[in-house]
Amino acid sequence: MKEKPATVFVVDDDDAVRTSLRLLLKSVGLPVETHASAQEFLDAFDPDRAGCLVLDIRMPGMSGLELQQKLNDLHAIIPIVFITGHGDVPMAVEAMQHGAVDFIQKPFRDQDLIDRINQALEKDRENRAGLRERDAIRRRMEELTPREREVLELVTQGKANKVIAGDLNVSQRTVEIHRARVMEKMGASSLAHLVRMVIEAERVN
Amino acid sequence: MTAASAPGRAELELKALLDAAVDAVIVIDHRGCIDTFNRSAERLFGWRATDVVGKNVAVLMPEPYRAEHDGYMGNYMRSRHARIIGIGREVVAQRRDGTVFPASLAVGEIKGSNPQRFVGFIHDITSRKAAVDALRRERDRAQSYLDLAEVMLLALDVDGRIALINRKGCEILGYNEAELLGRDWFELCLPERTRDHSRAGLVDVMAGTRDPLSHIEDTVVTRDGQSKLIAWRTSLLRDERGQVVGTLSSGEDVTERRDAEQRLRKSEALLRAAQEIAGLGNYEVRSPGGSTWSDQMYRIVGCDPAEGPVEPPEFVARVVHPDDAEHVNREWQRAITETGKLDLEYRIVRPDGTVRDVHAIAQVGTDADGETVVVTGTLHDITDRKRAEEEMRQSQEKLTHVARLSTMGEMATGLAHEINQPLTAIATYAQAASRLVNSAAGADPDDLRDALTQITNQALRAGEVIKRLRGFVKNRSMHTETLDLNHLVEDLRVLAEPDARVNDVRLTLDLAPSVPPVSADPVQIQQVLLNLVRNAIDATNEREGAVREVVVGTRVRPDAVEVYVMDRGAGISPKIVDNLYNPFFTTKAAGTGLGLAISRSIVRAHLGRLGHRDTPGGGTTFWFTLPPLRTA
Repeated sequence: MKEKPATVFVVDDDDAVRTSLRLLLKSVGLPVETHASAQEFLDAFDPDRAGCLVLDIRMPGMSGLELQQKLNDLHAIIPIVFITGHGDVPMAVEAMQHGAVDFIQKPFRDQDLIDRINQALEKDRENRAGLRERDAIRRRMEELTPREREVLELVTQGKANKVIAGDLNVSQRTVEIHRARVMEKMGASSLAHLVRMVIEAERVN
Repeated sequence: MTAASAPGRAELELKALLDAAVDAVIVIDHRGCIDTFNRSAERLFGWRATDVVGKNVAVLMPEPYRAEHDGYMGNYMRSRHARIIGIGREVVAQRRDGTVFPASLAVGEIKGSNPQRFVGFIHDITSRKAAVDALRRERDRAQSYLDLAEVMLLALDVDGRIALINRKGCEILGYNEAELLGRDWFELCLPERTRDHSRAGLVDVMAGTRDPLSHIEDTVVTRDGQSKLIAWRTSLLRDERGQVVGTLSSGEDVTERRDAEQRLRKSEALLRAAQEIAGLGNYEVRSPGGSTWSDQMYRIVGCDPAEGPVEPPEFVARVVHPDDAEHVNREWQRAITETGKLDLEYRIVRPDGTVRDVHAIAQVGTDADGETVVVTGTLHDITDRKRAEEEMRQSQEKLTHVARLSTMGEMATGLAHEINQPLTAIATYAQAASRLVNSAAGADPDDLRDALTQITNQALRAGEVIKRLRGFVKNRSMHTETLDLNHLVEDLRVLAEPDARVNDVRLTLDLAPSVPPVSADPVQIQQVLLNLVRNAIDATNEREGAVREVVVGTRVRPDAVEVYVMDRGAGISPKIVDNLYNPFFTTKAAGTGLGLAISRSIVRAHLGRLGHRDTPGGGTTFWFTLPPLRTA
């Protein structure tokens, strides 16, 4: 997966708010992409692009909350900062419950918004780093032989070499050799490390 | 008289006697032949004695008596019974020249003469008969006068029995004359309760202790039991010795008149009361002649009725408010000289300084003589009505304002959003510009210029919303101007759209290409429209899965411009449709129930109508119409 620069996606139906945000984010050197509606954003959405979403909660047509729902359905990981008006707190709470990073009320201090955007970008970086880690583990696991994978499974179930030898009907020495090769191929420094990697690999996005 | 024999002394004496007699004396024999014919007879009949002696007496009679006379004679000779002997009778006699005259005839038989002879004394009764006829005619005329009289004439004898009653009396009482004459008046015709009292009254009158001419009204009972009120005038009847022999009364049936008078009194009282309650006075001005005022006129004007009406020139000078005097004077003159009608409102000042509003209506005409100008009019004190109208108008305005504020309240979220948007943009632009200026790389002048332009634009945008809001919620009186309803709808969008947006409703305009101008108060019409849009949005929210669109459109009707607001919402339940326009009726949790009621009254004040129809496929379309401005 090739690395792209993180982009701040701004979705707001109000021209003035949208372009002012573009200018603000440009002034702090953040790459910005603006969309006038939720649908327009969704049509252009690429899950592989890093960044965060600055989303107006009230919009005609598809609202911010509805867009959030759609992204969740797509298992998208892009972090969302909601922009809300006065009196939209109940909607903001709902947005948070559905995984939004944060929300900010209009009008706002630029620094508050930028801080939240940075948090969101950090979150995205973490998310994507996690994803990359998992991909690496999975790739390494794919390089194991069938016998080595059997041994990995039983080892991570916490079974002793002797028991594994009995299960697989091989010698204890053979188990030890497989085990060492698994540790090496997976790059595990300890049994505990190996177990964590397996758990990570089995996590769904 | 026998010419052949010389007259003896007795005969001469008799002749002298006969000739001296005033009456005509004629002697006839048993055949009716004239024997003696005295001088008076000669004068009376125009015959000489020599001409008629020996002729049948019938020569002195006209037909048909002439033929009948022989019959009488024969009859007498046979029966010895004379119809005439000794009693005398009136007959008709004929002179020689053929003229006839009435005469009285007395006949005597000369006893002992042979052949039998009769003597007749004839007296011309022409003048007496004329007098009697005149008397009879007079009496008949009197009777017919009595009968013609429109009053009952009643004579009672001293015992109270009916001695005379005329036709009118019979008519009133329902009896015929024969049934009344001789009957006890009091028993027959008076109700029991007054019978004794009235009889005592008669006794008093007869005794002279009571003035018989005093006018009294008394109830009589007719044959069929009806009560009638009779007004009596009574005088005493006396005989030639001056003895009271009875009473003569004239009685007038005043039942209807009294009823009418009572009705009139009642209706006059009603009129007075009505005038007082309504504050309505009426008057008549006659020129020449002067004014007549109803009681209420004095009360309205605050003048003393004892001083009489205030005549027109003085009225304008003294009663009419000085500021209105010229106008009133002009209208009055115009009514009299041109239009014949007066209809105007002005103020009057009472002597105590109170100012009252009055409405005067009058008509100018002429009297039957064609000379006298008569102005008939009413003066209506409308002070209280005017005050009530003013209060009504003020409270209506207050209510309208409250409703407007309430509509605003319902739209607050949308409007707050609408102001928040430009504020957000302004803050963001300003902060971005500030960052650009401070950035190490330095600012791109185009970006800065852009930011500043946008800041200005957005500030104006917010200002515009606030201006409209202020204009909308300001408490103000109605003032109309010429409006293009298409423009009004477009302008309204600024206020209505935010509300639609926050409710996720699309607001669509569907305007006629052009609409005739109307005369209206823009704020009030916007209020109506906003209220309808507000309701449409609420109705959309009430229906799950509704098409979230509200259409505001204009249409040109044959005689009006229509503005409509169509939603595809929940529609109006038949249960509430009757109350829809009633004040304080609401289906909304936070509603005042004033929106539609006030909207309708606003539209009506603009001479338009407001109503609703179903939107095909569900939902409601509210509409109102305004009359197009007439271009004079």
